Amino acid sequence: MNRSPVALLVLTLAPALLGLAIFRAYPIGLAFYESLYTTIGGERIFVGLGNYADLFADSGFWKSMRVTLWFNLIINPLQVALALALALMFVQKLPGMALFRLLFLIPIGVSLPVAVIIWRIVLLPEGFLNGALGAIGLGPYRFLTSPDFALYSIIGIATWKGISYWMIFLVGGLQNIPPEINEAARLEGASPWQRLWLVTLPLLKPTLLFVLVADITINFLLFAPVFMLTGGGPRGSTNVLMYEAYKSGFVFGDMGRAMAIVVCLVVMLLIIVAIQFRLLSSAPAREGK
Amino acid sequence: MSPTARKALIYLAIAVTAFVFVLPLWWAIASSFRPNDAMFADLFPFTPRALLPEPFTVEAYVAIFERGFGSIIANTLLVAGLTTALGLVVNALAGYAFALFEFPGKSAVLGVVVVSFMLPFEAIAMPLYSVVSQLGWIDHVAALVVPSVANGLAVFLFYQFFQQVPKDYYEAARLEGAGWLRILWSVYVPLSLPTCISAGLMLFIFQWEAFLWPLLAMPAQQFKVIQVGMAAFQDQYTTAWNQLFGAAVITALIPMLLLIPLQRYYVQGLAGSGIKG
Repeated sequence: MNRSPVALLVLTLAPALLGLAIFRAYPIGLAFYESLYTTIGGERIFVGLGNYADLFADSGFWKSMRVTLWFNLIINPLQVALALALALMFVQKLPGMALFRLLFLIPIGVSLPVAVIIWRIVLLPEGFLNGALGAIGLGPYRFLTSPDFALYSIIGIATWKGISYWMIFLVGGLQNIPPEINEAARLEGASPWQRLWLVTLPLLKPTLLFVLVADITINFLLFAPVFMLTGGGPRGSTNVLMYEAYKSGFVFGDMGRAMAIVVCLVVMLLIIVAIQFRLLSSAPAREGK
Repeated sequence: MSPTARKALIYLAIAVTAFVFVLPLWWAIASSFRPNDAMFADLFPFTPRALLPEPFTVEAYVAIFERGFGSIIANTLLVAGLTTALGLVVNALAGYAFALFEFPGKSAVLGVVVVSFMLPFEAIAMPLYSVVSQLGWIDHVAALVVPSVANGLAVFLFYQFFQQVPKDYYEAARLEGAGWLRILWSVYVPLSLPTCISAGLMLFIFQWEAFLWPLLAMPAQQFKVIQVGMAAFQDQYTTAWNQLFGAAVITALIPMLLLIPLQRYYVQGLAGSGIKG
């Protein structure tokens, strides 16, 4: 009953903190450690930064890096913009909105592999989308097997699945804006368009930034659609770094290379998260919130 | 533009967006009730009949369950249920400690917890394989459950909520001689049901949707969970379109059955974490 606070603290905190330490923090350290070794004929040999040197000299790695960066350059702004559009619709007060809100939320229950299976059939040359496009005289297109289309098809699938989730955070941000501010702007004669750009978006900036960064961290590590749909092809056009790491480690058995790629990914993500915290901690002062 | 015309336009935009948004899912549901050879009928040339389940049959669903999809669902419910139950206890305890007690280094530890959930699970899945194989858990259910129990976002949700509970409640219960565990159970937990629901849903959905980690951790595929099972199904029965749709529909249906009645809590919990996060 009268345990000292120290014992109490240990009892309550230990399970969660130990879990996070063993299964989140330790693997990151281990990835770095294992990236310093290579396996030759079943024997582990210390190679220092050799795996990194090999990686940076490998054109396959840089091609995969380019695919990853290009993919992220398109998908993240696209998802945030569409999630914002959905959120602005979601908060409208019109009759029948309960049904539309439910429909907007439905893809949250759809996992990425489910989305992949559904869209794979929708996107077949004889599938639904080509049928619908055929009705207006277009196509048929090889959405998944053409190097010109495959990456964009994956962007489309991940976007369809992802934006409902990000919409939720933006809805929270929108509902946090006091309605009086918009009302005052309306009385001053600001048009709805001006109110969106001059009132709503500046006030929503911290939430938008959070969503953008969280979205980037997910999309940098996108794996399931590449694994299930394209295997990195056609002609390497969808070979993102996460899939390259998986192939190195779990298909070709080169764990050193796989871990070196994972370390590169984690370092890039930590830099992005650090930038976000920097921007967020200076944001409230500027906006007088 | 008059306000009424603008309202009508917004309404139309919302309706069209919602319709286009759920169209692929609708086609998948309708087509899962068609025989396989009628999957792509009514598409070339395109007619709206493509969106109806005709001719109607449940043969796809019968075939899926004959191929053992039932035990895959049971496996996943077990893993997700265990993770949710253990996760609620472990993360609520930690949130309680962070909210009620001051200790040196508290803000640094909290900072690490927040960073841990900004870094997605996928980032550490491959090195986690080495950790779990050191523990000898590869191909054991423990490999799926134990690493997912401690969750930074869940700790943060509970911390955020418990912090708002007036300290007087705690002091009053202390004066009446209640122990800390009793206070947590009979004062804090009943107040935090919405947080429990949103954290629980998050843990459940996270585990239900897990793909990369079960793929790595269960290489023997003796114990299959649903997302990996579905992907394997896709490889094996490439052209059993109606069965693939049926499997996808069932896989999506179960989290939706939880989400639709509880959406209010899920939305509140997540949206709140984003504003403060």
